[in-house]
Amino acid sequence: MDPWWPRSKGMTEAIAGRVRAVDRATDVESFSTLYQRTFPRVYGYVASLLRDRAAAEDVTSQAFERAYRKRRSYRPGRGTREQWLFGIARNAALDELRKRKRRATLAAEPEDLASLSVEQDVERALRRAAVRGALSALEPRERDLIALKFAGGLTNAEIAEMLGVSESNAGTKLHRAISKLRETCND
Amino acid sequence: MTDHDARAEAELLRRVDDALTAGAVTELDPDDRALQELALALAAETPEPDPVYAAELAERVRAGFPRGSRGRSLRKRIARRLPTLRRPSMPVMAGVATALAAVAVATPLILEDGDRAASGGSAATGGGPEPPPASADDLTTLAPRRPESGAMPPAAGGAFAPGEGERRIERTAALTLAAPAARLDQVADDIASITDRYNGFVLRSSLTTGDRGTTGGEFELRVPSKRLPVALTALSELGKVRQRSQTGDDVTGELRSTTDQLQTAQAQRRSLLRRLERADSDSETESLRGQLDLNAGEISGLKRQLRDVRLRTDYATVSVDLEQHRDQDSATAGRDSDGLRPAVDDALGSLSDSAELVIRALGVALPLALLATLLGLAGRQVRRRRREAALL
Repeated sequence: MDPWWPRSKGMTEAIAGRVRAVDRATDVESFSTLYQRTFPRVYGYVASLLRDRAAAEDVTSQAFERAYRKRRSYRPGRGTREQWLFGIARNAALDELRKRKRRATLAAEPEDLASLSVEQDVERALRRAAVRGALSALEPRERDLIALKFAGGLTNAEIAEMLGVSESNAGTKLHRAISKLRETCND
Repeated sequence: MTDHDARAEAELLRRVDDALTAGAVTELDPDDRALQELALALAAETPEPDPVYAAELAERVRAGFPRGSRGRSLRKRIARRLPTLRRPSMPVMAGVATALAAVAVATPLILEDGDRAASGGSAATGGGPEPPPASADDLTTLAPRRPESGAMPPAAGGAFAPGEGERRIERTAALTLAAPAARLDQVADDIASITDRYNGFVLRSSLTTGDRGTTGGEFELRVPSKRLPVALTALSELGKVRQRSQTGDDVTGELRSTTDQLQTAQAQRRSLLRRLERADSDSETESLRGQLDLNAGEISGLKRQLRDVRLRTDYATVSVDLEQHRDQDSATAGRDSDGLRPAVDDALGSLSDSAELVIRALGVALPLALLATLLGLAGRQVRRRRREAALL
């Protein structure tokens, strides 16, 4: 009987276990950083698209979990990590929309009247209501674009990449949506 | 879109970006200020997450999204896994399908080539490295001389073609062996003992002797056809094989023809005997006896022919020429040709076979991979469109 082999094997396993644990911790830490950097924007984007807080929470959680599980499939050559994460979130949101047979043109959530009532600046409150109304009047595709830009905080290039169009094309679409918003707000 | 429009569009987007970056209105022009205010208002419209929910999700991220968290039931966990079971990823499916198709297409081609190589190769070898011992398969696939009756050659593997009945193959083999002068006597003895071991016999043998003793010899052996391959293998191991050839001659037609002739002759004999019994006159009896004598001679000859054919097919003829090693002085060269060269040849052969296999597999796999890639891309596009349809 060789007393060294089992001991050596156990030690190897212990070291391997420690290495795995360290790798996992590093992974989690790296993902945590990404999460902290993007969470409010991802949530904002998803909520703007779905217009349902409960669904937005579910989809955002689902998107982050999916991204975490697939974190090794991220390829830097195909865009930034944020872009990749927003892509996952967008797919999850669109799946949710499709699953529920809901259209993005459905009525928006009831406005938070309490927050409006305490608004100091009446003009700003009116302005906000006008913006919300204009947003509701947008086509779903346009609202997706506006959400990616203003809630997601993505650059035009990132949006173009995500939508699979050229940057100039994305710029044109964005320009059109903003112009439409301006017109609606001015009306 | 004109250049002017494009410039205006770029300007508008730049102003929007400026406002978002600064978090405040930066332009002086009232129109531009209105645009920037709108951009800021839009950014301010972004829904904010519930702090409780945010804290809960942050905790799950820190924990690395543990499985079964949030009290997920077994059913939910199974349901969560089901999509991955139902729909494996497209690249994996495409890869597996491509590999399977490549194997399915390449294997018959390779096997077909193997068969072609086994049946199409020359049976004779001369000089060079010793060929591998011939198997029973080799012998039965050695392009036999077609019999006059046009009978089919025997099928591979020693089995006869179905429906053809038992076929008779006359097999012959010729072997030229070289051995050092000092070992020639021993090799000659071994040839006889190997023949004996496989229930054969030495039909003829002759040894040539010179000043320095035995210098060579010739042997004609008869070995049971079924044991020819093993006997040849054993004989080949006695010395360096300089030449080896094997032939198979289908004599089934000849055998059938002789058998038919014999049966005819025997029937004729029976008829003659009956006529002899009924013969009325001496002259008739005499005539019939003469015919019977001729018939007996014919039958005897045919039986001899049959025995001869059976002997030739039951026993293979092996001619062995024994020679003295001509290059025994160049011992190094001899060792090289016995050891290293065959090994190098084998290695090159294996390499060539492997390359052929790879090329064939690639020939099948590449178009399939291309097709799978195109299908994958199309599938991705379809999925994307179906998703985007939610925004219509």
